[in-house]
Amino acid sequence: MQTMKFLICLALPFLMAAISGMAAEAGTRVVIYDGVSTNVTAPPANLAEKSDLWVTLEDLKRATGYVLKPQGVCREQLCFPIPKARKSAFLFKQDAGKRSATWFNLSEFGRLLRQPAAYDAESSVWYFGPRADEQNGFIESLNAPDFTLPDMSGKKHSLSDFRGRKVLLLTWASW
Amino acid sequence: MVNVPTAVWIDEKGRIVRPNEAAYVDDRYKSMHRLDAAEYFDALRDWVANGEKSVFALSETELKDRLKPQNPDWALATAEFGLGEYLYRQGLQAASIRHYKEAQRLNPDNWNYKRQAWALSDAEREYGTSFMKEVQKLNGKPYYAPRKLPGTRKN
Repeated sequence: MQTMKFLICLALPFLMAAISGMAAEAGTRVVIYDGVSTNVTAPPANLAEKSDLWVTLEDLKRATGYVLKPQGVCREQLCFPIPKARKSAFLFKQDAGKRSATWFNLSEFGRLLRQPAAYDAESSVWYFGPRADEQNGFIESLNAPDFTLPDMSGKKHSLSDFRGRKVLLLTWASW
Repeated sequence: MVNVPTAVWIDEKGRIVRPNEAAYVDDRYKSMHRLDAAEYFDALRDWVANGEKSVFALSETELKDRLKPQNPDWALATAEFGLGEYLYRQGLQAASIRHYKEAQRLNPDNWNYKRQAWALSDAEREYGTSFMKEVQKLNGKPYYAPRKLPGTRKN
């Protein structure tokens, strides 16, 4: 009986490590980018240890619209070159036969763009918010930021729909 | 926008004419704020009639003085609050509170982060305070952008 207990104690740390590794492989990770949430594939264990978010290039495109090109990481007309000296901080090539893939560090990319990111370790959710300079753009132009909201019947209206007319944007409550 | 009623004036080109400020459009709470709704309507009618020549249309300098630019801490607070909102919608209330608190720490003057978070939980238990307690601490100073119309009473 004592031997059995000893074996269980010995095996437990390895069992926990194996389960933890499986969770990293199979667990769901969520990225919220531009306000839209996307489930992404969990990276291999060596990339999953820290709070940085590594995604496949397919997931990068699905979650953010960015694509890796020779000139940098691009979305529409915007391209951000990856600093050559720090390429390994952004990209990791996983060579595992059928499961080979290129992984991209979205957290490092966020730091490059000075994009604020919040992370919840327990639920594996990363939230990338708008950059301070993006949010301050309206102060320079004084253009009211556009937004869209549904009316009581569900029909959507954007602030820009009212261009050409004066607008009183009034918040009120019904009590 | 942290309280109601507040309003923003926006011109035909989509430019801000007056940023968010208290906009009492009737007198039902006049005993509390002592401001005439009629003054606000007069100012509004003046702007509708005179456009950018109205004395109530703020100059670019006045506008930029009133609009507060984001700094990196405030930008991060926006992300923390957004994450809190997402987690709350997923039913993960304890997790959401961690991020609401972080947003409040990063941008302590933002009353949206306080009011919304307190409203979504037992504020006394989770945050050790309440909306009324925090308002009382201000000793009469408004927590929202006050009305600043030229030639009228101010609050």
